Amino acid sequence: MSTAMNFGTKSFQPRPPDKGSFPLDHLGECKSFKEKFMKCLHNNNFENALCRNESKEYLECRMERKLMLQEPLEKLGFGDLTSGKSEAKK
Amino acid sequence: MGGLWRPAWRGVAFCGWRWIHPGSPTRAAERVEPFLRPEWSGTGGAERGLRWLGTWKRCSLRVRHPALQPPRRPKSSNPFTRAQEEERRRQNKTTLTYVAAVAVGMLGASYAAVPLYRLYCQTTGLGGSAVAGHASDKIENMVPVKDRIIKISFNADVHASLQWNFRPQQTEIYVVPGETALAFYRAKNPTDKPVIGISTYNIVPFEAGQYFNKIQCFCFEEQRLNPQEEVDMPVFFYIDPEFAEDPRMIKVDLITLSYTFFEAKEGHKLPVPGYN
Repeated sequence: MSTAMNFGTKSFQPRPPDKGSFPLDHLGECKSFKEKFMKCLHNNNFENALCRNESKEYLECRMERKLMLQEPLEKLGFGDLTSGKSEAKK
Repeated sequence: MGGLWRPAWRGVAFCGWRWIHPGSPTRAAERVEPFLRPEWSGTGGAERGLRWLGTWKRCSLRVRHPALQPPRRPKSSNPFTRAQEEERRRQNKTTLTYVAAVAVGMLGASYAAVPLYRLYCQTTGLGGSAVAGHASDKIENMVPVKDRIIKISFNADVHASLQWNFRPQQTEIYVVPGETALAFYRAKNPTDKPVIGISTYNIVPFEAGQYFNKIQCFCFEEQRLNPQEEVDMPVFFYIDPEFAEDPRMIKVDLITLSYTFFEAKEGHKLPVPGYN
């Protein structure tokens, strides 16, 4: 939705998200997980790679509370975290 | 006889009832199949011998009074070469007709190509902005490109008529292509009435937008906030690993994700991009 009306330039086309829209967390059920994630980000200078566990936990909270469709975590890009967990369980 | 028919489509629709020559063996066929009638600009084919009967009338689209037609004067007086000339002239005319038809067809095809290509892109999902392979298998198998750190900065806007407080909860986040990331926005409805908003997003630089894939977010769907309610709005996204291989993106280290909220009114359709 760019306003650059240049002839021939490709304008930005917003795309809908792959899995749709998150339902709003009206009751704040996953707020504590979110706070943990934000704290981790603040502590680690906003590096996402170091806080992936917390983001995984937030999404798991959402899936439990039916605020998100159940998906195996590998499909959400957390394959390395889950395989590490299953190896630790062994 | 069939091989001597030379259909010229110009005269097809009108040729039928102009023939006045009665009793010719071809007439029966033409009465049944009017589109088989050739346009006879003079003589030709097997009808050459019947020319002597002198009752042919020229068939043409425009009604021309025979007296007003400019007389075609054949160059030779010898009746045999005259016939050949007429034949050649007619052939030239037919060829010219075909060539003109092909030229017009090409022009039409070049105009038709634009909507046809768009249709093709819609059905197959390929095209400039869509990256093939949005499936979750892709997310499963993608490998983070750890040496390319990109800073994503967040921006939040509201439309003037929407009274929400909408802001990102982090100013920036550092990700690498191929790694899924989570970010949060917060929205608060300070009014005493429930308000429904709908949002869209923008990515700067534009070319990086094709690599920015949102798995799930809060855009393009109506979100309702009750009075005095504050909610966290997450965005779950990743940058396509192919970003690291695009030569145009070599200098891109900062991507800005900007969300804008509008008020969703009854019957007011926002230009959301084909998302239902």
